[in-house]
Order: sequence, then structure tokens, then C-alpha cells
Amino acid sequence: MCIGLFLVAMLPAVPAGAEPSLSKKQLDAVVRLEAVTIPTPGEFFVAIDKQGQPNWTQLFDPKSAAPTSSRERMALVLGILVADGYIAVEAQNSQAVKNIGRDIINLAKKLNVSQSILGRGNSLSDFAGNNDWSALREELEATQNEVKLAMAEQKDRDLVILVTLGAWIRGTDVTTSFVSRNFSPQLAELVRQPAIVQYFLDQIAELPENTRTDPLILSTQAGLSEILGIVIADPAQPLSEAAVGRLAAITSGLVNLICDGGKQTP
Amino acid sequence: MRHLALVLTLACLLPARAQNAPETPAEAPAESPLARSLALELAGAFANDGFKLRDGFWSGTLDTSKPLFLQVNLFAGNQYWFSAAAAKPARKIAVSIFDAKGHPVAVEKYEDGASAAAGIEPTLSGPYIVRVELLEGEKSDFCLIYSYK
Repeated sequence: MCIGLFLVAMLPAVPAGAEPSLSKKQLDAVVRLEAVTIPTPGEFFVAIDKQGQPNWTQLFDPKSAAPTSSRERMALVLGILVADGYIAVEAQNSQAVKNIGRDIINLAKKLNVSQSILGRGNSLSDFAGNNDWSALREELEATQNEVKLAMAEQKDRDLVILVTLGAWIRGTDVTTSFVSRNFSPQLAELVRQPAIVQYFLDQIAELPENTRTDPLILSTQAGLSEILGIVIADPAQPLSEAAVGRLAAITSGLVNLICDGGKQTP
Repeated sequence: MRHLALVLTLACLLPARAQNAPETPAEAPAESPLARSLALELAGAFANDGFKLRDGFWSGTLDTSKPLFLQVNLFAGNQYWFSAAAAKPARKIAVSIFDAKGHPVAVEKYEDGASAAAGIEPTLSGPYIVRVELLEGEKSDFCLIYSYK
């Protein structure tokens, strides 16, 4: 394989148009898989970093959540913690990564999934102690996925999507806030993610009725619907500064709503 | 991807990322540990060029004349490699990338029997479609993972 890998470097890129476009039947056969279709906050932050070079230390403002017995809210908060973990990694704040790792484990205990991820918590702490930022990015995603797997195994499969959604909302909250203060059309295009928003709305629509009609989920769904309306409007034009500002307001409101137990509205 | 030749050569001298492979993610069936191991081995070469490996993966069964398609969401400015491998009896597979409307996009390709990869540096953010197809051989389990930087 090594020889093959060396040879590939010698091969020219395959130009667009070298093969036919997909048929409608093939387009209809396209699947979406959360674990691959939805980018991690870390992946999003890498793109933002290249275009805008944010000061992640200034952007790092970790959220703390009020205690709750709602498993839906705990799942969303778990996602927010994961996204904050990625921000702490970008800020290269090892103590913050350790703290967030501890918070993830504590929340996982409340969801009764901690046994399987205790090792992950230790790994996060070890990698943070060694300032191994690259490994931490992968470990954060692995930790999140392990929590999701444990949730799915204990009949909380419906909540898994909420973990991913919480992470996406928090990541978008932080980045849209940055982009609205440092506006450029290139940065604005990075926060325009209609396919991802549509995916979350589709997944929420498939939740069991008692979850789907939870007031927090209804508010989240309303926020996502408004976001979708903004990001699909006038696709030929870049998102305006005002539109990015509205995205920041919606996602910030959702993060506060999730973290404070519903005392605010987005 | 300018330094790919050097990096991939170096990759041959370094341990494969598969040794540190994360656990099975949620919602992705671990249908073929062998296919996943082979895909991780291929992706490991890119990890040595600073590409970060996603923990999630896509696995299933490939059949001739029945390519499979997956939506991914990519960011302009990032670089991506989609690495796939199939277990025997697959003999040759291919990975291709299309835009959201199904039009092919320019990629760097690597194909070596039942392992293949496609590299892309999108200029537009948004959804893309990854196609994995079995070109030679019989119905086989496959696994696709991706890495980015």
C-alpha cells in the first residue's frame, strides 16, 4: 500500500466533468448518517479559523446549566458542553478542557451512561495535561459518540440527536457572534448551513410525540425553522450582516434557553 | 495538498492511525471490522499530513452496479480526504464526490484495489455527495471514513 500511496501523489487531480452527473434516481438514493453527515464543531471551527483567525481565548465563555430532571434538556446541555470543549481546545486552555471533561462525565452520570465513558474522561484529562490539542479534538468527538452509543443502548436513542443538535447550536452561537462582529461575505457563507438545519428539523419531526411536544423542543424547533428561513433566502446572494446578526441572536437565545431551564425565550 | 507526495511517503514509515482507532460511534453499524480497519489504515496516511480523523464512519454492503451515496457537509477552505475500503471478495472500489445537484466535482483520487480515497478542497460550503462503488469483485462489506484539515 505504501507504494500505492506514493504513486497517488503523482496522479493528477480528476477534473470535474470526467464522469456523468447523478441521475434523479441516484440523488433520491442519497442517505444521511448523523455520525458522518453532520460536521463536528471542531471541523467548523477549523474553517472559521482559516477565514477569520478569531481569538478563541476571548470567545471562550463556557456555559453552565441549571440542574434539571429533563432528559431532553440534559442531552442538549451535553452537546453544548462538547462544543465548549472544542472551543477550549481552540483556545488551548487545558484546565478548561479538564473542567469540561469532568462536567461531561457528571452529566453522563445523570443520564446513567457514565460507566462506559469514564475512561474517556480520563483520556481527555490526560491529553489536556499534555497539551495534545490534535488528540483532544478526536477524543472529544469519540467521547460524544460513546455517550450517544450508551444512550442508544439504554433506550434513549431518541435523545441522541439532541446531543448533536446542542453541539451544533452552541458552535453556531459562538461563530455567528464572531462573524457578526467581524463580518465578511466569506465568513458569512460558512455559517450558512441549510442542509444541516433541514436535517435537524427532519429528525425532530421523527421524535416521539412526548419528546417532540416538550416546550424546550418546540422552542428549539421554532428557532431552527427561523434559521432555515434566513439561510435559504436568496441563495444567489451572500448572507447579509443583518442576517448573520439574527442567526447569532437566535442561537444565543436557544443556548440560554437550554442552559437556564426555559426562563428565557429565543 | 501540495506536500502530499512527501507526506504519504513519510506515512509509510509511521504507524497507522488504526492503532488508536476510536470506538464504534452511535448510529453507524459496525458491519465489518476488517473493512473499517483497512479504511483506517488508508486514512492514517493522511493523518500524518495533519488531517484530523472523524470518529464517525459509514459502513454497509457494496454490490456491483449498485453504488451507494452519502450526503456530507463540507466547509470552503478546509481540505478533506474520504477513505474507503472493502473486505474480500471485493477486488476494486472507487470513491467519487458530487455537488448537491449531482454534478461531479474535481478531486484527487487514490485507487488501489479494494481501497480508494478521494480528496477535495471545496471552494463552496454546503452539502456534497460521496459515492462508493464496487468496480470489480462480488458483494462485500465496506467502510468509509473521512479526515479534514
